[in-house]
Amino acid sequence: MSRQRKATPSARIGMLTYHALMLAISAVFLLPFYWMTISAFKTNAEIFSNPVTWLPDPIRWENMTSLLTREDFPFVQQFVNSVFYAGTVAVLVCLSCSLAAYSFGCLRWRGRNLVFGLTVCALLMPTIVTFLPIYLAWSKIGLTGTYWPLITPFLFGDAFFIFMLRQFFMGVPRELLDAARLDGASEFRIWWQIVMPQLRTPLIIVGLFATVYTWNEFFLPLIYLQDREAFPLSVGLFTFQSQRAVEWSVSMMGAFLTALPMVALFLLTQRLFQRGLSSTGLK
Amino acid sequence: MGMVQLSGVRKFYGALEVIKGIDLTVEPGELVVFVGPSGCGKSTLLRMIAGLEDVDYGRVEIASKDVTEAPPAQRGVAMVFQNYALYPHMTAYDNLAYGLRRAGLARNAVDKRVQETAALLQISDLLKRKPKAMSGGQRQRVAIGRAIVRKPEVFLFDEPLSNLDAALRVEMRSQIARLHQELAATMIFVTHDQVEAMTLADRIVVLNAGRVEQIGTPREVYHIPANLFVAGFIGSPAMNLLPATLGPSGVALVSGPVLGGHSGTGEAVTLGVRPDRLTLTSPESAHLSGEAKLIEHLGDETILHLALADGGALTIKLAGDVALTIGARVHARIDMVGASLFGADGRAMRLEGARETEA
Repeated sequence: MSRQRKATPSARIGMLTYHALMLAISAVFLLPFYWMTISAFKTNAEIFSNPVTWLPDPIRWENMTSLLTREDFPFVQQFVNSVFYAGTVAVLVCLSCSLAAYSFGCLRWRGRNLVFGLTVCALLMPTIVTFLPIYLAWSKIGLTGTYWPLITPFLFGDAFFIFMLRQFFMGVPRELLDAARLDGASEFRIWWQIVMPQLRTPLIIVGLFATVYTWNEFFLPLIYLQDREAFPLSVGLFTFQSQRAVEWSVSMMGAFLTALPMVALFLLTQRLFQRGLSSTGLK
Repeated sequence: MGMVQLSGVRKFYGALEVIKGIDLTVEPGELVVFVGPSGCGKSTLLRMIAGLEDVDYGRVEIASKDVTEAPPAQRGVAMVFQNYALYPHMTAYDNLAYGLRRAGLARNAVDKRVQETAALLQISDLLKRKPKAMSGGQRQRVAIGRAIVRKPEVFLFDEPLSNLDAALRVEMRSQIARLHQELAATMIFVTHDQVEAMTLADRIVVLNAGRVEQIGTPREVYHIPANLFVAGFIGSPAMNLLPATLGPSGVALVSGPVLGGHSGTGEAVTLGVRPDRLTLTSPESAHLSGEAKLIEHLGDETILHLALADGGALTIKLAGDVALTIGARVHARIDMVGASLFGADGRAMRLEGARETEA
């Protein structure tokens, strides 16, 4: 017969305090998101009504139609831009950073640690410090106003993701690489055919990080892109809000629809995220 | 099958010399075992032969071709690793076929070779499985298959049985011995397990701190160790190494008795006696006496560990189950047949005769 273990009163009080604290902290983060969501389905008047209504009544679906059909806010086009921008960067980051991480984590060469140290130093360099000379260079080439300056740098990796992936690459058994070398595979082929399939989980995690990071990226698209049709949502939403400050309900609907894909992505991949971060993904 | 020839092979990690000039010839069809303690350089040497480690000085020849600078795949070697190193995302079939495909073999030829190898190793029913769906023994057989399928000049085994349990290890050991006979292949096998070395090897290479201590057949290495290191390393339980002096009338043990067979001028020597070369005797005829500190009853034999009066230790291996208790006073007699004598420099001296002259 099993006997249920009873918590002592002090342990119970401890648990209650813990949960209350966690709920309070969660509320700090969730409340703005909740406010944005309900505001997206209210009229302007309802948003600012007193007393506050915590549920939209009725639900104003027309806000969505209004947003999607506006000429001064090409939401659909900007959504497509964001998907293109984030998706391309995610794929490029996975490819370029894994190549660099393979070199840093799986190959031995003179000066490897020094070069890796310098790469990590790049993490310490704020974008704001380097953007001006880089901007001028792109400007000279005549490619400002396009996505080239935003995407091309990721062909050459990103210090943070290289750092992150290197840890996983170091976990690949050396014998596996040796076996492939004895089988006649080139280093490039070992990277692509032997190592990459082992590291699917870390690569998906890096892809997710890169997607979220790029989806929310604001500064660089703002300085490089001039045309409203070319903006990603982050910049598009900001521009709309600054020009149409009074239209809170449409702004909130835009913000809601901008955040929605990332929330959905996180919810769908939450377990993968946790598993990938808590283990190396290798047996 | 190819011959392997190493000439003055050296390897450095930074300023540290890990392989200190090794000369070795492995004859075609021979199975040579590299044995030595952890960190002695045996795996490094094997990896240098495979081309997985650079050779800093010296020359490596395989099948009479200088391959010192050649990449691993062009040396005609195949390697079996301790942790199998099977590609986890591929089936056993693809694991076997991968190297053949890289070598540019046609699909039909690849299939034929894979099926032949699978039949030889009795792994045909495993070909569709991925490594995670196989047991340790099955994985190791697939790993051996991956080596065989390429028909290399030389097979290299890097402690391939270490991850297997005792029963499976015995089975795989005999399978490797059988393959060696069937394929008449040149094989180099690295292990720290002496039983593997003694049972598999045509010749054993005993390595220590990056140097070759002795090269010989298992019997030579066991019965005629070249130096104190080999004497202490080969054989389980280890050889008893007793301090002695070499006087005009023979080998005088520290405890008193003098054993004949050699004469000298009083220099310090070490007498090496295998535990099975000691027998129990009466106090009057004993060479050595001590107190039983540990008794290992192994069923068909008993191993006694004695503490000698002079502070030394002695191990005796006796046939059968001997009824003794811990703390018992035990008297032992040395059979000088098969005993070894080592000079102050640790090198073996020839021990002539084996007659005993009691002091």
